Amino acid sequence: MTLRILQGPSSMTSDSLSTAPATDTAPLEIPDINLWSGFAATFKRDITVAFRSRGDIANPLIFFLIVITMVPLGISPERDTLALLAPGMIWVVALLATLLSLDGLFRTDYEDGSLEQLLISPHPLYFIVISKVLVHWLMTGLPLTITAPILGVMLSLPNQGYMPLIASLAIGTGVLSLIGAIGSALTVGLRKGGLLLSLIIMPLYVPVLIFGASAVSSASEGFPFVGQLAILGAFLAMAMILAPFAAAGALRISVNG
Amino acid sequence: MDWTWFHRLGSPRWFYEKSSVWLPYLWVLTASLLIAGSVWGLAFSPADAKQGNSYRIIYIHVPAAFLALAGYYVMAISGAVGLIWRIKVAELTMRAAAPIGAVLTFVSLFTGAVWGKPTWGTWWVWDARITSMLILFFLYLGVMALHNAFTHEETANKASAILALVGTVNIPIIYKSVDWWFTLHQPATIKFTSESTIDPSMLYPLLIMVIGFYALYALALILRTRVEILKRERRTKWVKALALGSA
Amino acid sequence: MHPVRKQRLIFVVFVVVFATVAIGLMVFALRENMNLFYPPSKIAAGEAPVDKSIRAGGCVMPGTVKRSGENLDVNFLITDGSADVKVFYSGILPDLFAEGEAVVVNGKLSESGDFNATEVLAKHDENYMPPEVADAMAAAGNAGDGAQHQKTCEVISYDS
Repeated sequence: MTLRILQGPSSMTSDSLSTAPATDTAPLEIPDINLWSGFAATFKRDITVAFRSRGDIANPLIFFLIVITMVPLGISPERDTLALLAPGMIWVVALLATLLSLDGLFRTDYEDGSLEQLLISPHPLYFIVISKVLVHWLMTGLPLTITAPILGVMLSLPNQGYMPLIASLAIGTGVLSLIGAIGSALTVGLRKGGLLLSLIIMPLYVPVLIFGASAVSSASEGFPFVGQLAILGAFLAMAMILAPFAAAGALRISVNG
Repeated sequence: MDWTWFHRLGSPRWFYEKSSVWLPYLWVLTASLLIAGSVWGLAFSPADAKQGNSYRIIYIHVPAAFLALAGYYVMAISGAVGLIWRIKVAELTMRAAAPIGAVLTFVSLFTGAVWGKPTWGTWWVWDARITSMLILFFLYLGVMALHNAFTHEETANKASAILALVGTVNIPIIYKSVDWWFTLHQPATIKFTSESTIDPSMLYPLLIMVIGFYALYALALILRTRVEILKRERRTKWVKALALGSA
Repeated sequence: MHPVRKQRLIFVVFVVVFATVAIGLMVFALRENMNLFYPPSKIAAGEAPVDKSIRAGGCVMPGTVKRSGENLDVNFLITDGSADVKVFYSGILPDLFAEGEAVVVNGKLSESGDFNATEVLAKHDENYMPPEVADAMAAAGNAGDGAQHQKTCEVISYDS
């Protein structure tokens, strides 16, 4: 299906403009504006860009690994102590690693002007934001989730803890990316947005941290953890509705003032 | 319904001039409530059976905590009004509300710590309510930090209004999560009925103090909003005339 | 359908679907017992896991606190009005611990249904009243052992 529309306001005033060529009134063929095309195009573009700078994908992971290495050095190499700390530590560090990568979510698009193009495009910004967040999650949240079991081994996490660790991180980092997108959109126009972004977003991460870490720690003590995962899932669904909306509003303000 | 008053609010000048009329009354109301409440609470109401006189810090602690939370909603609602109807006074009120709320949150945390030392034997515990207040404090600081980071006033107002609104959606969730986290990690889980009871002789001064703090909050908010108005409108004729007239 | 309307429809469907998912998951989560806290009735009903660190709480049934003369061993019954559980503890009890007051105990449930506590905590009192009132209440004798105790424990009848 294609949509035929007039070429914007200039065609309506063409009668009054003697210099306007007659062809001005010819309808212009433009592709169908549906939700999917905008989403898919942004997704494809962002994935390509992300894969061209692979170093940026690795950085949060290396950070994740180094900080977890610091924990036994700073506290104690004793297995029992580490096992007790493991769920919380892995979750806190995953949260920090996500925060570090969030600054770049809209930054490059803002600097090269493509963000403005996205804003004035007829595609709904809401779904473009979701698409960008999805790419961000694939590039940070997913790798963090996959690496987490290795860190669990380093911190001698009990065997029952691995499944919930992976599940809670997979769901939870999605929420982190979505909420973080709001902060990233608010600070995109600022030169030194990085630290400020962490400052404004961290308090909003509290519920995710509580339920994520609790799922892992109660599972490692042999208790059911499905309830916590369900709550994380509920957070994800809620964030899916509200966060792109807030982030889209914030982007408009950051770009247009 | 007549909405002219609402649209008049859009004019900072109208607000400034009207508030000049209300202010003296509000001053008197605030001062008399706070003096009455604190004299009654500190000197006349009886000491607590278990805690002795140290419970009297309740007369600062509880009203400050009330207003710290209510202040966040004041900030978020005025931010929303500013975003939706583009009412300048609302934007300025939002800007003015953030530091007041942050100070009140700090006061309630600080008095809570001072109260905790004699009653619980420690300055700080990771109690659900205390932790939620601390996070509320961080939310306030975040809104202020975001506002200060922008050089352009308009953008700063809108951006911090969005952050305040996002925080509003989150406050109940944060509160519930922290509450749940606390029951998981800490002892005080028994709550078949959770209402705490307070004797009327202690309750009345507390109510007066709460109302007094509301008045104090309104006063501080109006005063700060007036300052913001003057700062924003400093190049207009009426502010210049005001400055020359009072000089 | 007009594209703008179609867009709106998809958007509404999107919101409705995710809102439903959120509510559904929330309802599911609330049905799960996540806080590892078991009142005596649940322990008596066999819902609490055996030999895992859990937390139980209730009111100390008056007249059931038995202290050993030689060491710090103590045992007592806690109740929530419908069932009671015997708690064994070895250690110093907190100052606020008293018969008819609320306590929270951390520990493990044994096969026989007794609770071996590693920690006993007294519930923080949330009542404020002047000493005269407290004395008056004690004089009226409505509180038995203590001048004031947890309202929750007052309403329980200990006869059952």
